[in-house]
Amino acid sequence: MQHKFDVIVIGAGPAGSSAAYNLAKAGFNVLVIERGRKPGAKSMFGGRVYKAPVEKAFDDLDKAPIHRWVVKERISMVYDEEALTIEYDGRGRHSFTTYLTDLSSWMADKAVSAGAKLVTEVVVDKLLIEDGWVKGIVSGDEKLYADVVVDAEGINRLVLERSGLVEKLRPEHVALGFKEVLKLSKEDVNKFFGLDDDEGLAWVFMGEYTDGLPGGGFLYTNKDSVSLGLVIYLGHAVKELERHVYDLIERVRLSRIFNKYFRDARVMEYSAHMIPADIKALRPKRLVYNGLVIAGDAGGFLLNLGYTYRGVDFAAYTGYLAAKAISEASGDYSLESLSKYERYIDESFVGQDLKRFSGVHDLYENRRLFKEYPMLAINMMRRLFNLEYESTRFKDAFNESRKGVVGLTTLLKDLWGVYRKL
Amino acid sequence: MALNIVVGIKYVPNTTNVNIDPKTGTLVREGVPSVVNPHDLVAVEFALELKDRYGGKVTALSMAPPQARAGLEHVLGMGVDEAILVSDRKFAGADTLATSYVLAKAIEKIGDYDLVVMGHETIDSSTAHIGAQVASWLNLPYIYYVTGLEYRDGYFYVTRELEDRVERYKLSKPSLIAIKMHSRIPRHVRLEYKLRAVLDSPIKVWSNDDLGLDPNCIGLRGSPTVVSKVEFTPKVPRKNIVFEGDIRESVQKLIKALLEEGVL
Ligand SMILES: Cc1cc2nc3c(=O)[nH]c(=O)nc-3n(C[C@H](O)[C@H](O)[C@H](O)COP(=O)(O)OP(=O)(O)OC[C@H]3O[C@@H](n4cnc5c(N)ncnc54)[C@H](O)[C@@H]3O)c2cc1C
Ligand SMILES: Cc1cc2nc3c(=O)[nH]c(=O)nc-3n(C[C@H](O)[C@H](O)[C@H](O)COP(=O)(O)OP(=O)(O)OC[C@H]3O[C@@H](n4cnc5c(N)ncnc54)[C@H](O)[C@@H]3O)c2cc1C
Repeated sequence: MQHKFDVIVIGAGPAGSSAAYNLAKAGFNVLVIERGRKPGAKSMFGGRVYKAPVEKAFDDLDKAPIHRWVVKERISMVYDEEALTIEYDGRGRHSFTTYLTDLSSWMADKAVSAGAKLVTEVVVDKLLIEDGWVKGIVSGDEKLYADVVVDAEGINRLVLERSGLVEKLRPEHVALGFKEVLKLSKEDVNKFFGLDDDEGLAWVFMGEYTDGLPGGGFLYTNKDSVSLGLVIYLGHAVKELERHVYDLIERVRLSRIFNKYFRDARVMEYSAHMIPADIKALRPKRLVYNGLVIAGDAGGFLLNLGYTYRGVDFAAYTGYLAAKAISEASGDYSLESLSKYERYIDESFVGQDLKRFSGVHDLYENRRLFKEYPMLAINMMRRLFNLEYESTRFKDAFNESRKGVVGLTTLLKDLWGVYRKL
Repeated sequence: MALNIVVGIKYVPNTTNVNIDPKTGTLVREGVPSVVNPHDLVAVEFALELKDRYGGKVTALSMAPPQARAGLEHVLGMGVDEAILVSDRKFAGADTLATSYVLAKAIEKIGDYDLVVMGHETIDSSTAHIGAQVASWLNLPYIYYVTGLEYRDGYFYVTRELEDRVERYKLSKPSLIAIKMHSRIPRHVRLEYKLRAVLDSPIKVWSNDDLGLDPNCIGLRGSPTVVSKVEFTPKVPRKNIVFEGDIRESVQKLIKALLEEGVL
């Protein structure tokens, strides 16, 4: 093909569009290639995005398709159709709920308005590598050249795999997320969850819904719908899970705790997607090569703290840093010159967070968090509150619930582990 | 030998969940994701194969609201050379008569065409009127269920497949054909063509100012069809009864059940 671009961006997700937007603004001739019918067509996520990093990457965030600002956080442990919940009722405007499909569309539109070109329905098969340099991309029997490529293809990074830059994904390294979007009226969302029109709820839960497997569930309120989903760690699920994942999510919807909200709801959408889990294992040896920068999920940039996920904001921010590094490279896209990007990442909150929380993933190896502790918590609540004649001392409730479930030393050790790693 | 081909493209809501505006009786198209009518993708494939064989040019033509650009970009990505979007609020509310009139006039304006290719029907209205009506406005020979075409000595030798037979026709130039669904697998888009669609914006937009048609012949006013009422077939709950065991007894039981239901 006779065309040549300054930059080719693979994938019009938050990372790709952020890179394209910032590069186009800096005057680069950018082409974004997206395999979906339109940006966002292939996207899915839980539901909440942290504002600050996205605002750094994109102007006019107030015009983005924001559903509700999260003011309420709930964390629940679930056992035997009962839940122990902590609720924080705040009033910040730090994160918002949205559909990733719409947000990705908006981000891509921003990139296009800034002058980036966008081609949809085209799959990039691999990087065009000549003499140790990434010179562009290959799609089917077609090649397209560019001075530098930004790989923002997401977690299912087949392009990097096929180009030999990362290992094949292994089940232990990822989690599977799946969710239903349930249609309610706006009034019902407000009423059920005690929210005002633009206020939102983020609710995560762990326990029996994952069949005791490491993972958890989430509920986010959108304008007039609710996203209800589960995340399970694939390493365990492939070995132990005995039912279909859509049965698992159906069971959540039909459970005593959630069914009261969804009796009249219509399932608008069902979707599933992978999530980076073992961040250390997923980080490519290098985030840059001669002529290549890797951003977003493709680089394994996702933080799952158990009580909150940060992927979209990380993706947008790493896209922004990729654009910065490329802009500052003044035409020298060698590995040495681009390695500035790695430094930017490591110095940024993304790199710092991932380092500080690098132990969190190990917590997911501790099965007691997903089975024994929710059980203990609920049994304790039962003893404390389901009274008939005599009242229960806290100490007895605790000890009786713990007996035969988990030893005291193990419990203290686990507590210490959670404390240290979070 | 080169052929100048026009293909009719309709951009249709991709859903079985069609909403009808109770006041006007027309389809509510906003907010529903749309796709190129699958029949028309087969028509595009047919036209592109002719272009591959005989050379020439393929022009996509669609009468639709501006969102249809995405559909036209898709067929441009398949290799269509040019696209014309006939779009004007004045065309809104058109029935098949008014639609075919506008399309026929647009094809006339394109001018030096040899062949018009259409899908057999659409998945949203499926009247299969448009081909026949456009052909009669333009006085063209018209064959539908077409599965093959050869171009020799200035004539089209056309094959159409019906359920029980194959028919062959010799058509003069220009002609209009409607392609049988599933007779071709539409090709994928190519990066090069998609890039051209994005960089050179080869989509022309014609409004009624370009066509200059009598307002009484277009849009709702040019549409004699009156949709008096739309009724949906009631959902019949399935009983899911399975008769197992001895085949004779099961059949007897089945017949008995069907008699009780009043179906036999
Ligand atoms: C169930 C679930 C819940 C989540 N919850 C949250 C949450 O609440 N908050 C949060 O911030 N994050 C959440 N995340 C994570 C978040 O969705 C991702 O981190 C984020 O989308 C990553 O953005 P990205 O641009 O790197 O990749 P993606 O959004 O995956 O975008 C990649 C794009 O590249 C395209 N593409 C891929 N391969 C090719 C190819 N070969 N050629 C052309 N195009 C290609 C894809 O179609 C896609 O559009 C969740 C994820 C899941 C799965
Ligand atoms: C009273 C009434 C009101 C209507 N109001 C509206 C309205 O407001 N908005 C609206 O969009 N529709 C409206 N329609 C439907 C509209 O008339 C038909 O969708 C249109 O005429 C095409 O008919 P069809 O879909 O049955 O095409 P068919 O005849 O089944 O299609 C055959 C082939 O013709 C070609 N073709 C069909 N339509 C087009 C097109 N638009 N451009 C290019 N090629 C085409 C394609 O190749 C297609 O495969 C209305 C119909 C009625 C009866």
